[in-house]
Amino acid sequence: MPPDPWVLAFDTSAAHCAVALLAGKTRRVCRVDSMVRGQAEHLMPMLETVLAEAGITWRDLNLIAVGTGPGNFTGIRISVAAARGLALALAIPAIGVSGFDTLAHGQAGPLWSVIPARRGHFYARYDEGPITGVPLQLSAPELDQLTGQKLCRTDVPAETFVENIARVSLGRADRAQPRPAPLYVRPPDAAPSNITAPILLT
Amino acid sequence: MRSGVTCHQINWQDGVSMVKSVTILGLESSCDDTAAAVVRANGPEISVLASVVYGQTELHAPFGGVVPEIAARAHAEKIDHCVEEALDRAEVSLSQVDAIAVTAGPGLIGGVLSGVMCAKGLSAGANLPLIGVNHLAGHALTPRFTDGAVFPYLMLLVSGGHCQFLLVAGHDDFTRLGGTIDDAPGEAFDKTAKLLGLAQPGGPSVERAAKDGEATRFAFPRPLLDRPGCDMSFSGLKTALLRARNALLEAQGGLTAQDVADLSAGFQAAVCDVLTEKSRRALTLFKERHPDTPPLLAVAGGVAANGAIRDGLTALSRREGAGFIAPPLGYCTDNAAMIAWAGLERYRAGQFDDLTLVARPRWPLDSQSAPMLGSGKKGAKA
Repeated sequence: MPPDPWVLAFDTSAAHCAVALLAGKTRRVCRVDSMVRGQAEHLMPMLETVLAEAGITWRDLNLIAVGTGPGNFTGIRISVAAARGLALALAIPAIGVSGFDTLAHGQAGPLWSVIPARRGHFYARYDEGPITGVPLQLSAPELDQLTGQKLCRTDVPAETFVENIARVSLGRADRAQPRPAPLYVRPPDAAPSNITAPILLT
Repeated sequence: MRSGVTCHQINWQDGVSMVKSVTILGLESSCDDTAAAVVRANGPEISVLASVVYGQTELHAPFGGVVPEIAARAHAEKIDHCVEEALDRAEVSLSQVDAIAVTAGPGLIGGVLSGVMCAKGLSAGANLPLIGVNHLAGHALTPRFTDGAVFPYLMLLVSGGHCQFLLVAGHDDFTRLGGTIDDAPGEAFDKTAKLLGLAQPGGPSVERAAKDGEATRFAFPRPLLDRPGCDMSFSGLKTALLRARNALLEAQGGLTAQDVADLSAGFQAAVCDVLTEKSRRALTLFKERHPDTPPLLAVAGGVAANGAIRDGLTALSRREGAGFIAPPLGYCTDNAAMIAWAGLERYRAGQFDDLTLVARPRWPLDSQSAPMLGSGKKGAKA
């Protein structure tokens, strides 16, 4: 990795395509396009526009950073699958960064990181400094009860959010990382089959 | 699938001479198989350099059917590994590939999206053209690279998610002659296996049980045979099987091995009769439209693995004076070699997509005919 690596970060975990391009720790381009759907068609051309704006090409990149959620299941898969394809083709690392790690970036002391989920629920994680907690899915009252008077971090502007994805990945780039994988928190909705096998008579 | 398989020579029929060899990487993730393959055409000689399929049967087994969200999660974290393995086995690097072909539908959208986004990443990163392929076109064009089939031919596509007759007149020229108006036969086999306490997937286990069975013990219906045309229905057959099973359960408190065998045989015979008779009608239509072409019937999809159905279609073709092609099983069920192949045919025709390629849950091959009411509850609808 060169001293000031080109890092391309992107996130589609919420109703947006968010992209940040950093040269080392310097932000070069950052763009957020809001959209409820259509991220799968919009993301790649948007990344190419961002690269062009900085006057570089795919081949100049040193690191891919991708938001792994939690958030919209389809959205996080869109970015993770694209990041994996890019990493394979460019032979550079792709590092997955969770929304909790992104929110907690640069924060000292005990902190709840909170991300809105569907149906009035929230994804939340409680960290005490470097000791990170277990990701939870909570209802609004549960969240209120748990977080109490403690510091909560949520609703970060998408520009800051995606830029922090790049910054967190830079902090991890010195060691081997697993391939990016979505952080769902919630298990898939699936009911076991309601057909019971017949008794076999002998 | 073994690497380095050289298939039949192809008659391109388009007068385009290939000056160089073309190598296509294909990706498939539309249902419950994650797959990648490398296919090369050198003049008229076609080679499948690698075809890798990661199945998900165990993931879905407890739920008695493919669960879309579980499938999507598996595809998103497997597809790039699958691509790497296919390239390794083919001993080909991305720089030696000419284009990336990917299933862009129809199918379970979460899985299709995972494949399409991975392919877009590969295409952008390696600066290679992207080709979106219709999954059904992949199946329908398979007899071309496995057996050198020449256009036009009649295709019966029959699987867990699909059941339709296609008149294949070119790599991008399909006419649907008929199809199921409700469930696909593969889905009905799975349901039958569940009702009889047999293993999933239901195709092989029902066929095994049927071997010792008496097909005539239960009078199962042959839906829509009384109506003209090539449309089919399998939902009523499932209900008839459920009723026959429940009657036995009520009378005896369980099923004997012979009951299971007879129910399996009766069900399989009904599916076989419907597919064979509708194939006969489809062949008649084919002969009317192409009186000067020697008729050819090809079959693809997982249900084409069923021996009784294969035998029925083979005998029918002989009676009708038609050729019959059933590609090897690994190319009948979902795989990426067929996607790479269909991509290769599009590559020759200069049909490329860009990075805005859309993943589509529904994507009828034949845009002229009216849409079908349904084509299988298991997933892909077309």
